Amino acid sequence: MILETRGIGKTFGSVLALREVSMGVEAGRVTCVLGDNGAGKSTLIKILAGVHQHDAGTLLVDGEEVRLTSPRDALDRGIATVYQDLAMIPLMSVWRNFFLGSEPRKGLAFDVAGARKVAREELRAMGIDIRDVDQPVGTLSGGERQSVAIARAVHFGARVLILDEPTSALGVKQAGVVLRYIARARDRGLGVVFITHNPHHAYPVGDRFLLLNRGASVGEYGKADITPQELTALMAGGAELEELAHELQRE
Amino acid sequence: MRRTPIVLALLGALALTGCSSSGGQSAQSPPAASAPAAGGAGFAVITHGAPGDSFWDVVKNGAEAAGEQYGVTVTYQGDGDPAKQSQLIDQAVSQKVDGIVVSMANPDALKEAIGKAVAAKIPVVTINSGADSSKAFGAITHVGQSEDVAGRGAGEQLKAAGVTKLLCVIHEAGNVGLDQRCKGAEETLGGTVERLQADVSNLADVTSKVTAKLQSDQQVNGVLALNPAVAVAARDAIRDAGSQAKLATFDLSADVVTAIQDGEILFAVDQQQYLQGYLPITFLNLYKGNLNTVGGGLPVNTGPGFVTKDNAAQVARLAEAGTR
Amino acid sequence: MTVAADERVASVGPARRLLIRPELGAVVGLVVVFVFFAVQSPVFRSPDGIANWLDPAATLGIMAVAVALLMIGGEFDLSAGVLTGTSGLILVTLATRYGFNVWAAMLAGLVVALAVGYANGLIVTRTRLPSFIVTLGTFLMLQGVNLGVTKAITGTVQVSGLRRAPGFEGASAVLAGTIQIGGTSFRVAILWWVLATALATWVLMRSRAGNWIFAVGGNEQAARAVGVPAARTKIALFMTTAFAAWLVGSILALRYTSVQANIGIGQEFIYIIAAVIGGCLLTGGYGSAIGAAIGAVIFGMADKGIVFLGWDADWFKFFLGAMLLLATLANRLVRRYAEEVKH
Repeated sequence: MILETRGIGKTFGSVLALREVSMGVEAGRVTCVLGDNGAGKSTLIKILAGVHQHDAGTLLVDGEEVRLTSPRDALDRGIATVYQDLAMIPLMSVWRNFFLGSEPRKGLAFDVAGARKVAREELRAMGIDIRDVDQPVGTLSGGERQSVAIARAVHFGARVLILDEPTSALGVKQAGVVLRYIARARDRGLGVVFITHNPHHAYPVGDRFLLLNRGASVGEYGKADITPQELTALMAGGAELEELAHELQRE
Repeated sequence: MRRTPIVLALLGALALTGCSSSGGQSAQSPPAASAPAAGGAGFAVITHGAPGDSFWDVVKNGAEAAGEQYGVTVTYQGDGDPAKQSQLIDQAVSQKVDGIVVSMANPDALKEAIGKAVAAKIPVVTINSGADSSKAFGAITHVGQSEDVAGRGAGEQLKAAGVTKLLCVIHEAGNVGLDQRCKGAEETLGGTVERLQADVSNLADVTSKVTAKLQSDQQVNGVLALNPAVAVAARDAIRDAGSQAKLATFDLSADVVTAIQDGEILFAVDQQQYLQGYLPITFLNLYKGNLNTVGGGLPVNTGPGFVTKDNAAQVARLAEAGTR
Repeated sequence: MTVAADERVASVGPARRLLIRPELGAVVGLVVVFVFFAVQSPVFRSPDGIANWLDPAATLGIMAVAVALLMIGGEFDLSAGVLTGTSGLILVTLATRYGFNVWAAMLAGLVVALAVGYANGLIVTRTRLPSFIVTLGTFLMLQGVNLGVTKAITGTVQVSGLRRAPGFEGASAVLAGTIQIGGTSFRVAILWWVLATALATWVLMRSRAGNWIFAVGGNEQAARAVGVPAARTKIALFMTTAFAAWLVGSILALRYTSVQANIGIGQEFIYIIAAVIGGCLLTGGYGSAIGAAIGAVIFGMADKGIVFLGWDADWFKFFLGAMLLLATLANRLVRRYAEEVKH
């Protein structure tokens, strides 16, 4: 396991955002974290990404217990996070965004020519077809932006890629495109943590599934142990759905 | 693309208005920028007064009247920032004017620019402030009022009126001449003189500052303003504070004269700034045509004159015309 | 570019591609204003005239370039104008009243200016208050300090007499002197301005710090998330405007050998206007140093051109404002035209 949590918990003031959550991700595998809104998914990611520090339980990287002090710290350990709002600067060009925070040097300067070239090549290697790396990121479609973010993480030697609801704001076709890139990243040997509230996106690409509800784990399953329908039912809270169906029926 | 013709048309319109802009100048529309047009010379008046200042407007009127009288072009520019004033002088030198009239509130800052004018053989007449440096900088003469003398005169009159503690309102930071007036008044008053800094470009602020001072210090029984606009603001302040303090001022305006007639202002020390605009143009014109110099190395005094209730009525009519 | 062109990218004419850059729209405004005045005034376009209007462009330009960098980084500095006064006052007071060598006095001024810049940056990054408010506070405090300390030490509201201080000649030559080019004197400040613009442009376009500046102005949270040292970048930017203020304050003090306690007040918005004319967004994340320099030139040309045309001094401010609006409008129209080809 590259990244693992055991009984991890986080409190904000008097709010218990996360309790006793255990999960893990291995190289070349995808772990999906599912749950409805408010289930605690973003708190979990922020802990994995180094934005927050956990209050209970342990976080392990490569089997060793650690405390991540900052996003930079997490990045340095190979944990790359792609946020929902993408951590991209819309007004800046694709290649500038690609290398933001990790700009290659040429003496004292920023190796601008090299950066452009590498950005174009890396995007191509991931199968991403961006017309012009000079165009501002704000002009790219949602799916294209996600793919640039993923390519960026892959390029910078991420060993674990954490994707925070990458498909949530996308249409069906675009979502499919992103899922394909997730598979690509997985095939290149990265471990992927894929957070989503859509079980139909999660199931095709996932190897393990963690379900969160109200800050606690509802269960952790391997692909072989669960069907898509069961997954959906568990997510929504099976009993609640049946009750709802009853209520909605005509008299 | 369709929008660019509109922009070009707007610019064309602006260019046309530029060509025919009036104001108070003699009407040469090809730029007054180059050498004098047929028949007349060109003189630049560059003062430290902000545009719209009632005191300097009278100076401007005097200069322009002289321009019309002699058939010469007179341009008037004013800026309180010595750096900007210095640049204006540089510009006048580039334009190769026939003479420059300059008021030096901050002589040090203008030394270089005036030096360049003198080196370019352009005659310079200083006015209003900076009399002490005038000759050293190479000006042919200074036209103004000796501020110490005027200050002392004001102090005497205030003493006679029973003032023992005087508030002296300095409305232009860094103007050496204003400081000299307060100092002169201090010498002859025989009481205490306190200086209050204010900004002539914000008169409402002047009123509130003076009001605050009068309310907090009941011993102040006299206020000396050094500018007519400030005097009017001070009068309002005295009224607001319910104070019995006596008010006197330097320099005239129509409002000040009315106030003197109404008894709100005791007297005004008149430096006859109209002459500070009119005479330098006369002198420069004579210098250009006849190489005359005036004053024999000494300044030409335009004041102090005192306007009191006795002569206010006659002066009132003239002040309204903008010549006193 | 060795990669084969994508057939979806329509071939963009070179002229249009040039106009897309943030600053080159401002060049159009520059040409319009120049032609407007040059056509009507032969002195304006003479070498003497050019030296006349390049000078205010230079002192404004040094500040505009620094302020543009800060604005690209997403912040404002309203205390920059007053700080020029503070630096100048320190220089002249120490050199004339306390016998400092002019160079030592300048160094003292630099230390104080950088401290103010650092303080501005620290407060903005720690408290997350809008920089507009923080630097407004600094502006007011410095205004009071300038006046109060000057009065306390000298009894009046200006300090002068720098000419007599030791080291004046050398310092004056370096910062306040002139250079003869073909019979016309050009102020050395113009060289300093060009240098500042070149340096700022290099930093923005070719250095890592430049990437960080764009990022921090475009989306600070996102920048932090990828490891950009946002706080350090912003503090450095505030110290840059402070440095520029020290430079300009020293240039002016050496040139006029005296400093009034109220100089620089009111200039802070002009720096911002010059930067905006040059293409900087008020919201940050976009702009250029060259653009700000061009904005300063437009300002200098309009400022002096109006005088050369002999327009009535009372209408000065009106015409200046109209000129500025037109220049910015021309800038905008050009950008929109140029961008029609991109999305």
